[in-house]
Amino acid sequence: MRLLGGPKLDDDQKARIPPGQYFTEKWPVLHYGSIPAIDLATWDFRVWGEVTEPFSFTWDEFREMPRTQLTTDIHCVTRWSRLDATFEGVPIRHILERGKLTADAHFVLAHSEQGYTANMPIEVLDDDDVILADVADGAPLTPEHGYPLRLIVPKRYFWKSAKWIRGLQFLTRDQLGFWERYGYNNSADPWKEERFSDE
Amino acid sequence: MASTGAAAEAARSDVRQIIGRTGHAVDNARDAMARLGMAFEAGDLVRTPFLDQALGDLALALEQDDGQKLGGKSAEASRFILRAIDRELDEA
Repeated sequence: MRLLGGPKLDDDQKARIPPGQYFTEKWPVLHYGSIPAIDLATWDFRVWGEVTEPFSFTWDEFREMPRTQLTTDIHCVTRWSRLDATFEGVPIRHILERGKLTADAHFVLAHSEQGYTANMPIEVLDDDDVILADVADGAPLTPEHGYPLRLIVPKRYFWKSAKWIRGLQFLTRDQLGFWERYGYNNSADPWKEERFSDE
Repeated sequence: MASTGAAAEAARSDVRQIIGRTGHAVDNARDAMARLGMAFEAGDLVRTPFLDQALGDLALALEQDDGQKLGGKSAEASRFILRAIDRELDEA
């Protein structure tokens, strides 16, 4: 484990850093293209595919949904890990309950601005530590970190935690996301170092 | 069916030469896109669904709004997508 800068970690904290990762107190910014310009007046979020009740919601409607706080560790495929990152937002289970997945829903594809997608099995998404976050570290998400809304899936490398998310498409069969199509690992478990598909 | 003939082979060779160049991956990606576009337009190579997807994703990765720098992952996306394009070229 590489530890660069910052305070020394105790043994419990060290045990929370997956193999091949280093600890950072910073939150590096990583994305392709440009940071999208968002207009909350026209912003919406869509839930569709293998759901009994497809729906969409506006930003004002999102802000009225039940909220939760999450303190979690996050791990980027580029090898940095942050401990005890805090997020606030809507539990994904609220979205799943409202949409009512069909019996054939086994996978989900997150859709974001600029054509970005990230895929995962339902069993990864359907957990109490997965949220749609609009607040990080006690403040609204900044544009470079996904304003206004970011999916948070702590159990997987952070590219699965799609920034600037605009929808969830539920699927019978797996459909690879942007990075997964070109060589990132489909499973992306940081504790198994599943970074790239050819490793 | 994959394209055959001298023009097809020249186009594939050009694209692979661009992909294999040293230099910045973003520049290589832009040049490879341009050369592939020429080959499609001239009928030297045919589009495949995967190439269409890859070129669309590459365009997204290189999209740069006024006054903004390209994100740090644009170069990595370029490298990954160009490798996939290289693998697909024989089908084009």
